[in-house]
Order: sequence, then C-alpha cells, then structure tokens
Amino acid sequence: MKKVMTACLFSLLITPVMAEDEVPFEAQIKARQAHMSLYGFNIGILGAMARGNMPYEAEMAQIAANNLKLANQMDNRAMWPPGSDASAPGLAGVTRAKAEAWAEGSDIGEKAQAMTTAITDMAANAGNGLDAVRANMRALGGACQGCHEGYRVPED
Amino acid sequence: MLMRRRWVVLWVLAVLVVAGSYLATAPQVRTALPDQVATVDLTNGETMFWAGGCASCHAAEDSDGEQKLLLGGGLELDTPFGVFAVPNISPDPEFGIGAWTDLDFVRAMQDGVSPSGKHYYPAFPYEYYQYMTVQDLLDLRGYLQTLPPVATPVAASKIAFPYNIRRGIGLWKHVYLSDAPWPQLTDPQLQRGQYLVRGPGHCGFCHTPRNQFGGLRQQRYLGGAPALEVGADGTPEGRIPNITSHKDGIGSWAAGDIAFALETGFDPDYDSFGGTMVAVQENMARLSADDRAAMAAYLKTVPPLAAEADGKP
Repeated sequence: MKKVMTACLFSLLITPVMAEDEVPFEAQIKARQAHMSLYGFNIGILGAMARGNMPYEAEMAQIAANNLKLANQMDNRAMWPPGSDASAPGLAGVTRAKAEAWAEGSDIGEKAQAMTTAITDMAANAGNGLDAVRANMRALGGACQGCHEGYRVPED
Repeated sequence: MLMRRRWVVLWVLAVLVVAGSYLATAPQVRTALPDQVATVDLTNGETMFWAGGCASCHAAEDSDGEQKLLLGGGLELDTPFGVFAVPNISPDPEFGIGAWTDLDFVRAMQDGVSPSGKHYYPAFPYEYYQYMTVQDLLDLRGYLQTLPPVATPVAASKIAFPYNIRRGIGLWKHVYLSDAPWPQLTDPQLQRGQYLVRGPGHCGFCHTPRNQFGGLRQQRYLGGAPALEVGADGTPEGRIPNITSHKDGIGSWAAGDIAFALETGFDPDYDSFGGTMVAVQENMARLSADDRAAMAAYLKTVPPLAAEADGKP
C-alpha cells in the first residue's frame, strides 16, 4: 500500500515535467500570443493618451496606430492551425481559443474584417488630435471584443 | 377513542401546515402606485434601459446595434436549474407586454410577480430592480413602449424538478429575497453610482456568488462567482471576476480605469473584455460619462474581499 502511495505521489511530481514536452502546437500558440501582445502594447499607447495617463503626442499616436496596421497586415494563418484550441488534449490552460472559432458557421472571418476596419480608421485619424483617438478607441475595443466574446474561453 | 382523537389532531395539524405554506408562498404584490407620478421622461427611460441591460437577455442572441431594440425574447439561459426561455417584452399586445398596465410593470420589476399573479423565477433580476424608483420604472416602461413590437411567441422554459414548482419561488423569496436598505452615502456621485450598480445595473447578479438554492451570498457581495450559465458538460462556463477593491479583485484599477473599461472594453493591461461582459460593456457605453464615472467611484468603495479559500474568486 505504502509503495502504491509513493508511486502515486511520485507520478504527480513528474507529470508536469512530462507534459511540458508534449504541448501540441506550442510554437504556433506562443507566436499568436506574442502577436496579441504586440497589439496590446500599441493599443496601450493610444489608450493611455485617451485615458489621460499620457499627454497626447500626434507623432507617437500615429506610430502606435501604424504599428497596429502593420501587425494587422501580417498573414498569420499558420499560427492558428485547426485543432490548436483549448478543448484539444493538453491545451487546456495553454490557450483560451475556442474550437467554435474553426467550426462550421463561425463568423471569425467577419470579426477579423471588422478589426481591420477599426485599425484602418484609427491609423487614418490617430495623428489628428486627442479627440480623434478617443473617438476611435470604442470601435477598437469593440473589434477586440468581437472575437473575445464568443471565441475565447472565460478565465477559470 | 384516544387513538382516534390523536388522528384528528394530526389531520388538523397537517391541514394547517398545507394551508399555511400555501398562503406563505402566495405571490405578494404592492396594491397601488404612488399618487404623485411626474410625466414620463423618455430620455431617462432610455438611460434606464441601457443601465438595466434589458437587451442582453430579451433581444435575440448576438444582436448588434438596432437589433438590440427588438425585445422578442427567445434567448435560452442554460443554468443548473434548467433552461430559462427569456420572454418577449416588446410592446406587442399579444406576445409582448404592450397590454400591461403601469402597475403590472412595476409589480413585475419590484415584486417579481406576473400580471396573472404568478411568481417569476429570479433568473429575472428583480432582486436588483426592486430598488429602482417608481419614476425610473415608469420612464423605462414608457421607453419600452416606443420600441418596435415583435409578434412572435417564445418556447417554454424547461426547468428541472423541484424548481419547476413555481409556488416554491414564494418560499425562496421568504428566505433569500432581501430588500434590506443599502449603506447610507452622502456624496451625490457615490449615491448615483450605488444606485446604478446595485439597482438597475444588477452587477451583483453575476459577480456575487449564490448558494445551491440560488440565494445570493450577500457577505460575498461582488466577490466573484462561478458563471451562472453552464456549458455542454453541465459545469459553469468559467468564473465571473471579483470586482471588489481587494487586490484579488480590481483594487489595482483606478476609478478612471474602471470608467474607461466600461466605455471602451479595455482593461488596464489593454486586453479586452470577453464572454458575457461584452454585452454589458456595450450597454454601459450608452450611458453618460458621468454615470460611468459614478459607477467606477462607487465600485472603488465596495468593501474588499479576498479570493475564497479555493484560490478562486
């Protein structure tokens, strides 16, 4: 009995180490999460200005918006292979992408298009004053939420 | 002879218990509207409509923009108690609530009782709407009447036994429906924030945990909770965050961060809201900047609650 218990405890200890080698799509998931961080960093500059935490500076606002546009121009389909969702074995807690995003009838393409529109509008206006940045923040937030509403697993 | 008398006593007691519970679970309603009601203010009614989040449940799923004004119901809320089919509250006289009187409306919102005298399930947030002023309710009613009628019926709810015994809600109301007054505040901005958060906004509906009978655990007010809706596997769809001023909640957010998040959907890390909070944020974005600032200021005063012992909010 004691041996069994020890074996069980031991297996608990080594499981995470073993699992680390077995994360499917690890590189793809890391890449897309890095892509999201790039968006977040640049939105953060515009947001800090809109929020009043950073003085508005036309040049910096335009740079951040241009970066968003560049990030959005990247063809990132290789980062989102089918089966790399949170319901796949070994991926719970690694990614929060829902399988529904890839499923038949998914409107993720329209949501991505809406994001491109929101970013294009921001890039066309970010240098035109603080009010222009503020006015476009809502649409940008709405675009991010477009996918996060239905295609991201809620935090546990 | 003695045996017989005992039986009689038992029978009388049994009848009294049955009659007593029947009376105790009867739907209680207020009998009249106040004498003095100002004219209906449709602008305020619209504010109450967005603050109250009516469209999040009563408009069809995935509604955007103008579709949110079509309140034909039909959304199905999959909960541990069963599937609640959300009713049509459009002004259609047959399928909606167009034929209701003002009193019917106030009773529904404040007492959780239908015009035909039946209890509503607390999936309808009258636990919170009961705190709305009668004037705000009548303004809201007036605004709802201006929206397009939707002449379609909704499917019946599928509630599991024993929760399908509507009369049982009477008992539930006795035990869990609290109309205790809120802590008194003197600052007008905090008062407004308190009203919006604890009244129409019904933030605690999702952010406060419930016990197994669906009663709010008031001592954990806004301390986070398992999601009310369940997924295909029957377990809650994630957790609703702690939004008290504790570090386990949103204590690190400035009031301006909260107001900005309600306006744009971005949190202080510039991640966006997701899940069911998206529809809430879209409603809050329709309020005035002053109202969002008031809600944010009030949330900063909500007593801090650490995450519960399981390490989750």
